[in-house]
Amino acid sequence: MQAKMNAGFFKRYRWKELGLLIIPFIILLLEMIQLPLANYFTTQITANTQQSIPFSTAILPTVRDLIPIFGLIFALLFVNLLMSIFFPKADQLLLPLVGLMSGIGVLMALRLGPDVGDPLQGTRQLIWVILGLIICMLTVFGLRNMNWLKRYKYTWALLGIVLVALTILNVLRVKNLNSPNHDQLNFGPFNLQPSEFLKIFIVVFFAGYLSENRDLLTEGNIRIGPLRLPPLRTLGPILLMLFISLLLFLVIRELGLALLIYGIFMVMIYLGSGKLSYAIVGFLMFFALGLLGYKLFGYVQTRFSILSIDVVNWQNWSQQTQEFARNGAYQVVQGLIALANGGVLGAGFGLGHAGVFVPFAQSDMVFTTLGEEFGLAGLFAIIGIYLLIIYRGFRIAIEANDDFNQLLAAGLTAIFAIQAFVIVAGNMKFLPLTGLPLPFLSYGGSSIIANFIIIGILLRISYNTAMEREGLA
Amino acid sequence: MSLDVFLFILRLLFIVLLYLFLMQVVFAITRDLRKTATASESTVNKAPPVVGHLIVVDSGPSNILPGTRFDLSPQTTIGRGPTNTIQLMDNFISGENTLLWLRNGLWYVQDAGSMNGTYVNNQPAREALTARFGDIIQVGFIRFKLAQ
Repeated sequence: MQAKMNAGFFKRYRWKELGLLIIPFIILLLEMIQLPLANYFTTQITANTQQSIPFSTAILPTVRDLIPIFGLIFALLFVNLLMSIFFPKADQLLLPLVGLMSGIGVLMALRLGPDVGDPLQGTRQLIWVILGLIICMLTVFGLRNMNWLKRYKYTWALLGIVLVALTILNVLRVKNLNSPNHDQLNFGPFNLQPSEFLKIFIVVFFAGYLSENRDLLTEGNIRIGPLRLPPLRTLGPILLMLFISLLLFLVIRELGLALLIYGIFMVMIYLGSGKLSYAIVGFLMFFALGLLGYKLFGYVQTRFSILSIDVVNWQNWSQQTQEFARNGAYQVVQGLIALANGGVLGAGFGLGHAGVFVPFAQSDMVFTTLGEEFGLAGLFAIIGIYLLIIYRGFRIAIEANDDFNQLLAAGLTAIFAIQAFVIVAGNMKFLPLTGLPLPFLSYGGSSIIANFIIIGILLRISYNTAMEREGLA
Repeated sequence: MSLDVFLFILRLLFIVLLYLFLMQVVFAITRDLRKTATASESTVNKAPPVVGHLIVVDSGPSNILPGTRFDLSPQTTIGRGPTNTIQLMDNFISGENTLLWLRNGLWYVQDAGSMNGTYVNNQPAREALTARFGDIIQVGFIRFKLAQ
């Protein structure tokens, strides 16, 4: 009996996940070995400029120096084991992808910590990631029933509204909209970023609401010209959520968050109703609101005027542009210089200088920092990993067995897609820069925890689907 | 060998490994897609599924007669709400109480977040449990026997 159970366990073990974790482990270990070598290299190069520095095994880091990465590897292996015992049928690709991403995030925080004057940053990020993995597992175990999420959808919406209200109160108290952390809440030692959790609440609410009122949305009984709208009673809660996003835009001046929430809204209403007219009307409204914001607020104008700077032609800048590049556009221009410094293959991990000359190199501008150290090739790989995470999320959504699960998985995946796009585009001077964190890579606890909750929900949905499809066999 | 050569090799190795990893994931995905494609073909060719019955053994506080037979489809929901496959008007049963489904010849039973729970042979079915014909399934306070 015992032997039979063991055989079943080995057969059901998540070998694919384990196999996919091997290369990420090697990558993380290699980078961890490179970090002290790079530091040694830079100190030697500043000391004596002429001679080439010989390589000897004496300067290689000891096993003790690698402990942070071993901690992360053990945490990931433990998650792999737990999932194999309790949820063998859940998706096997998400954990390796996410593990590698958050591992690179930890390494980046470890590497940038001394440069930005906060040497403990890497340790803290590592603790956040391990905590995130624990919370991911708790989500998978705790969400016995997706109906529980669906049933209390108004509760989630209310929690979201409370988060927004707290943030607005905080802003009114601080009254300094230019400080970078005016949208944070302080609970004891933690700097909580409520927006990170707000996005999850909003997706759960929309998924629950749209899955129930799908028919009314697709039918519609009020006619305005060629457009058919559903009755106001069904549209009300959705409009309320939109109003919240507008409030964020106007009061807290969180351009990125407003963009994210509006994007989620558009994605979900299109997925829920399957009607292109909603998407088109949504886009028109978006442009109208954007134009209004541009006319009304100076800060939006500043952010947009950054896009018109011609960085390549820097020698012919006018006095005015030079002034602008030193003040309002400083962050973006410095980021672009870092990217240019990286080139195709990058400066090498630990050998760039972005931490010193790009403001917020570890959070807002982490993409350009990665670009300097890993080069264009590394950035393409990172975008490739994001694409695979997003592909996997949408695949889980397609296979899910009812409207609510489908909308929930698709909406949660859309968060990653929109967020990654908005920040990468912002760092590359393609869109105005916003203060959103890059999922799994940016330094910051709330973002890591919230993203791991999302991964937990996706894993649970994929497990439920597989159980209903094929059973345990 | 000088240190900058070593660092350069490490850098190249990093990039190569990153792309190897991406390739590995893409291969895993294509294998997955092929498997699901063949699996969905085989389910199409299958004979119509065998349905079972639930026979009331102990009606508990409800007024359903013992011996009543309920038909089971391969995907069955039990609850008080009108959308359920089997609607039971009993105050101790939640709106959506229990899910039952048949896959590969095995019945799976899972509670749908009810107040009074679902049990398979007195084991709480908070996670999906397998059930065989002859097993006792308790929904709220009503006990059924799973039969063919």
